[in-house]
Amino acid sequence: MSKKRISIKFAGASGQGINTTGLLLAKALNKEGYKIFAYREYPSLITGGTASYQLDVSNSQINSSSRYSDILLCFTAESLDKYFDNIKENGILVYDFKNYSFSQEQETVLLKKNITKIYIDSKSIATDAGGTEIMSNVVMLGFLWKILTLETDILIDVVLDFLKNKNIDLEAEKNAILAGYNSPSYRPELSKKFDLPQTDMFSQKSLIMTGNHGISLGAVAGGVRAYYAYPMTPATSIFKFLGDTSEETKILVKQAENEITAVQMAMGSMYMGTRALVGTSGGGFDLMIETISCAGISETPLVIFLSQRTGAGTGLPTWTGAGDLNTAVKGGHGDFPRCVIATSDAISGYTLIQEAFNIAETYQIPVIVLSEKQISESLFSVKSLPKESEIMRGLSEGENRYELTESGISPRWVPSKEKKPYIHNSDEHTEDGTSTEESNDTLLMAEKRMRKLSLLEEHLPEPKLYGKSTPEVLFVGWGSVKNTVLDVIEDRNDISYLHYEYVHPLKTKTLEDFIEKGTRIVLLENNQTGQFGSLITQETGYIFKERLLKYDGRPFFVEDILDFLNN
Amino acid sequence: MSLTIKDYNSTNTPTWCPGCGNFALHASLKKALVELNISPSELFMSFDIGCNGNGADKINVYGFKGLHGRSIPLAVGAHLANRRFTVIADIGDGACFHEGIDHLIHAVKANYNITILIHNNQNFALTTGQATVSTQEEKPMYGLPKGRPERSLNVSKFILSLDPSFYARGTSTDPLQLSEIIKSGIENNGCSVIEVIQICPKYNKDFSPEWAIQNIKKTDSLENYNNLSLKNATEILDNSSIYTGIIYRNNTLKSFYERVHNRKDTLTELVDEVKIQDTAHLLKYFE
Repeated sequence: MSKKRISIKFAGASGQGINTTGLLLAKALNKEGYKIFAYREYPSLITGGTASYQLDVSNSQINSSSRYSDILLCFTAESLDKYFDNIKENGILVYDFKNYSFSQEQETVLLKKNITKIYIDSKSIATDAGGTEIMSNVVMLGFLWKILTLETDILIDVVLDFLKNKNIDLEAEKNAILAGYNSPSYRPELSKKFDLPQTDMFSQKSLIMTGNHGISLGAVAGGVRAYYAYPMTPATSIFKFLGDTSEETKILVKQAENEITAVQMAMGSMYMGTRALVGTSGGGFDLMIETISCAGISETPLVIFLSQRTGAGTGLPTWTGAGDLNTAVKGGHGDFPRCVIATSDAISGYTLIQEAFNIAETYQIPVIVLSEKQISESLFSVKSLPKESEIMRGLSEGENRYELTESGISPRWVPSKEKKPYIHNSDEHTEDGTSTEESNDTLLMAEKRMRKLSLLEEHLPEPKLYGKSTPEVLFVGWGSVKNTVLDVIEDRNDISYLHYEYVHPLKTKTLEDFIEKGTRIVLLENNQTGQFGSLITQETGYIFKERLLKYDGRPFFVEDILDFLNN
Repeated sequence: MSLTIKDYNSTNTPTWCPGCGNFALHASLKKALVELNISPSELFMSFDIGCNGNGADKINVYGFKGLHGRSIPLAVGAHLANRRFTVIADIGDGACFHEGIDHLIHAVKANYNITILIHNNQNFALTTGQATVSTQEEKPMYGLPKGRPERSLNVSKFILSLDPSFYARGTSTDPLQLSEIIKSGIENNGCSVIEVIQICPKYNKDFSPEWAIQNIKKTDSLENYNNLSLKNATEILDNSSIYTGIIYRNNTLKSFYERVHNRKDTLTELVDEVKIQDTAHLLKYFE
């Protein structure tokens, strides 16, 4: 029995309100009791190009996208051309621009795949209903709602609530939705073309939030009091959320003049004893690396949120990827301990950002929290947020800030008038922080620091196994790949998935047990070279015989996994 | 018990060259701190990399010797976290006008309530005498037997062009005046930029105590000099003589934190607020 899911995609030009239309649909379907997963594709420009918003909808938790759409709604000819091949068999194509002529080839495909195409003059419908042309978006929403055979009350409530403070004619907006809903272009057989699962209207409603929202809420919950950042997709929306809510949270949100400034400010704030977060993407992270090394030797707690996108250099700035693992784990000169944690969805972001601060403060090390555009900007259904983690700061007082201890952890106290002053030093130093170049001092302090890594590794959990312990195929991965595999596992009891949240230092026992048993193991990563696989090889000597890697800027779609298993 | 200069001394012996301006600079700073009654546990100093940074473990305060060019943003982060502390960013001319010049511009514009203490010895001394943008153009320097091919930056005019809330210039050859300047800088509510023309006996031999006595004048010696006047400040910077003293103040500016809207009515500092915070009130955005 396959998981019931359908996929709806809006596509048009950047600047046409595709994102807002998609968000409104997500909110309305959430209120109807559905679980949704929303995935955005958009170009790195403000107006033009092709943008899309895909909602995968189910009546149970859903965390990934299908490569295909049951219903594709297009606002431009370019977007129709671009996504035409991704309409599912028996699907529906709705478009709202006049004079589009389908090629012979397209007509053949439509016929062969039994796709119904419908033209709807949404702009005229909007203006006839007393609205403006931009309201064609909600006309389309109304029309879609009719196809989905849902009642309009919730949709209208959601749209009007969303627009209520925006100086928009709400009556016209409502009429435009109704006009779309009652459009004569509708035919009842459309609603029979797909199988929308039933929901229980009385079940507990979910929240819908992005991975970056999860990080933001986790930061608030975990006592983060300052956020420093420089704009860079796909981390920027944290700045927006924390900024927009800063009157409520009283968090200091500061846009720094560049990424180096942001991370230096965070390091200064953390030294003083508050919790400060920095967010960035690959290029900005590279600029922060010297500071990570400095935090390493000076034993200053530091947490950096790194949301990955595609490619080296500027790459594909608005597309997803997971190719910054190497720089997160290895970037920085010299040897020093650090921790790298990978989130996979909104809840894991919420939880792990809190853990990151606990680890950073307890072990006095830099911690890098990874996300991907696919996690940061996709919308997840979240039943409820877990309870806040206990705040652990590892504070204690002592004679010397860098006391040589067995555990490697030295006393650290929050600077205050009543306490003994101390220096943090990026020079190698003795126990009291004095700069040194002596051989013995250097060895003692370097080894003290590295003992913290062993201690941390002891305390970290093994990766989590999803599925049974004796699978035909074991996927191993980190980050957003989890979401796709788990959507597949629901229907396939022959596969399991081993998910790493803590990617450095690395726990290997669970994996080595599978290797020993001779299980068929497949590495799953959203990068070109299998960076995590290399880390595992480095630690265990095991070389992956099978690797499923994707590095075209797109996330793993459900079909990517299924096709792999079927071939 | 009243403070003395000894309270700020660390147990480490200075490693600067004999005759280095840093001795006088540290003495001036400690004197200023005593007179302002700021104890070692009420001060945060960030240090850069260079000869100034070699002073990090020579003064007993809360300190952080960080990275080259970055002492300003490090100090800003500390300041924003806890305003009960006096915060000083200690930095050389190489770090301030090369590696981290962006930070100076934005710190002045943001007007954080910190003091930036620039050790201007007109070269990268710790790496054995490379040219900085404040080195004379024709002067032979490390790897530049004919002098550097770039034009100089007029540091004073550059700082003044940023409209700082406080810009003063002192010299290591006059530690008493420098101490008074540092006191005023710390007391100023905003970003105080203090440039210290500093002796480097090894790589900037042209600047000697004797030269200083002959060529450096004080703004105090000028009749009717008004450091609130941009016109006055511009005039003395155009003058062929070098003037020390408080060159310019703009007392109409608010400091950064005073302009952060959401912190206006908050009585605590960020360091006081690290505890589990309720997020229930934020969940309305996700329905």
